[in-house]
Amino acid sequence: MNVIEVVDLKKQYKSVLAVDNISFTVEEGCIFGMLGPNGAGKSTTIECIIGLKKRNGGSVNILGLDPSVDYERLYNQIGVQLQETSYQDKIKVYELCDLFMTMYKTPTDYVKLLKRFGLADKVKSYVSELSGGQRQKIAIILALISNPKVIFLDELTTGLDPGARHDMWQCVKELQQEGRTVFMTTHYMEEAEYLCDKICIIHEGKIIAMDDVDGVIESADIDTELIFETNDDVESLLGKIDNVNRVEKCNGSVSAYFKDEEAIGDIILSFKQNNVKYKKLNIIRPNLEDVYLKLTGKEWKEAE
Amino acid sequence: MRRFSKVVTVELKLISRDFLTLFFALAFPVMILLLFGTMYGNEPSEFNDGFGAVDASVPGYICMIIAVTGIMTLPLTLAQYRDRKILKRFMITPVKPMEILLSQLAANTITTFAGMILLLICAKIVFNLHFFGNVLQAIAAFILILLSIFSIGLFIASVSKNAKAATAIAYIIYFPMLFLSGATMPLQMMPESLISISKIIPLTYGVELMKGIWLGSSIADYTTQVLVLGGILLLFATLSVKLFKWE
Repeated sequence: MNVIEVVDLKKQYKSVLAVDNISFTVEEGCIFGMLGPNGAGKSTTIECIIGLKKRNGGSVNILGLDPSVDYERLYNQIGVQLQETSYQDKIKVYELCDLFMTMYKTPTDYVKLLKRFGLADKVKSYVSELSGGQRQKIAIILALISNPKVIFLDELTTGLDPGARHDMWQCVKELQQEGRTVFMTTHYMEEAEYLCDKICIIHEGKIIAMDDVDGVIESADIDTELIFETNDDVESLLGKIDNVNRVEKCNGSVSAYFKDEEAIGDIILSFKQNNVKYKKLNIIRPNLEDVYLKLTGKEWKEAE
Repeated sequence: MRRFSKVVTVELKLISRDFLTLFFALAFPVMILLLFGTMYGNEPSEFNDGFGAVDASVPGYICMIIAVTGIMTLPLTLAQYRDRKILKRFMITPVKPMEILLSQLAANTITTFAGMILLLICAKIVFNLHFFGNVLQAIAAFILILLSIFSIGLFIASVSKNAKAATAIAYIIYFPMLFLSGATMPLQMMPESLISISKIIPLTYGVELMKGIWLGSSIADYTTQVLVLGGILLLFATLSVKLFKWE
């Protein structure tokens, strides 16, 4: 069952088309990740979906509700962490949580949430005195107070240190284990690879790739790289192997590029037969980051 | 209603932790009272048309408190909430944005009231304050002045790009208002030029109305003031509704 259905969503800011006819669906219980460079339209998409911004075209359906019409019912069933929200000066953790609890029809007890996220001892602290990671946990807790079926996370881990980031990943996994659907945006490829069941890469307001992580990597059609060090002249040997597309040499380290992993066996075999000495052999398969850079085209354009 | 009172309670707590508001809304008016009260006393004097200096000044001080909460605290809080995306965060809860706005108005009204009560108690104890007017009319005037000044505050919050701009505009409006409206210094001791300036300051009409009723006149004698304040309220409330941005 789809809990989010977006069809031909469009958002125009004066002369800029920030979101250009994008469509996607998110299945119940899955973690859907939206990736893209700054200004690609990620936040605008989230804000249009949840009805914070008026869309200029297309349709949005969350849990069977249109956010531009049924927002009050919808807001009782979804949780949102917005990018870069801070809170009132001198508000304490329990006051903020308490305030959010009174806003919802069937709220969850925030004390349990604070315990679960390891913030029970911070209940009387000022929110402004918490660390970045703790503040993001508060953002999740506030999003969870409505006991939402769908939760939106906009760059949850941006600006956090690696420890705090891994902490947040655990939190997100737990949300999924509880049967909630997660829609998230992120800049971090490893985060998307680790968390997301389905990702979509958005660039200049358009979706340029959408699938599970493996599918996206496959469809990007990037060579696998076999890298090793040797003093022997291997270029002519490698040239004879069918599947190898290209060879690069740099300071005694050689890289062979190919799509078909059959090439690995062929190369090793050929080295054995010709007594080639090599060391530090590594296979580098394309990962999401390579795909992302290829598709969003930044590094490549600059290199040309 | 439970929800609304909760939001207001939290806002009041936050105000109670804000030194500037506490100082200007609660402490400063009492300090002014003690200062001028000690200087001029509260014996009937010719300068005040036969009234005591304190009796004639306290209505102005009340207006000063309204100006603090309405021109300073209200727009600064709203602009800050907008800057920090707190308003935006509230908008994706089932709470209607208007409730948040109204809770701000309510919290600042209560703060104004607290400041006024503290001032009146001090004035009564130290200088034996008198009230010569009609209580209901005084309350009506208080509400009218409050709404009128708060609408200016909302307008400041609406037109300022960020909290810094709101602070700048609030200070520029607040301080002349404080000294040139008759709220702290009686206008009758000022030269013609300053009195003509006072005519363009909205609070002047509030001070005149409040002082008049306090000293025994009827609200009916102050139709100009009532009309000006009502007009300000109508104008700025309309503009604010049109111009206010939630983010």
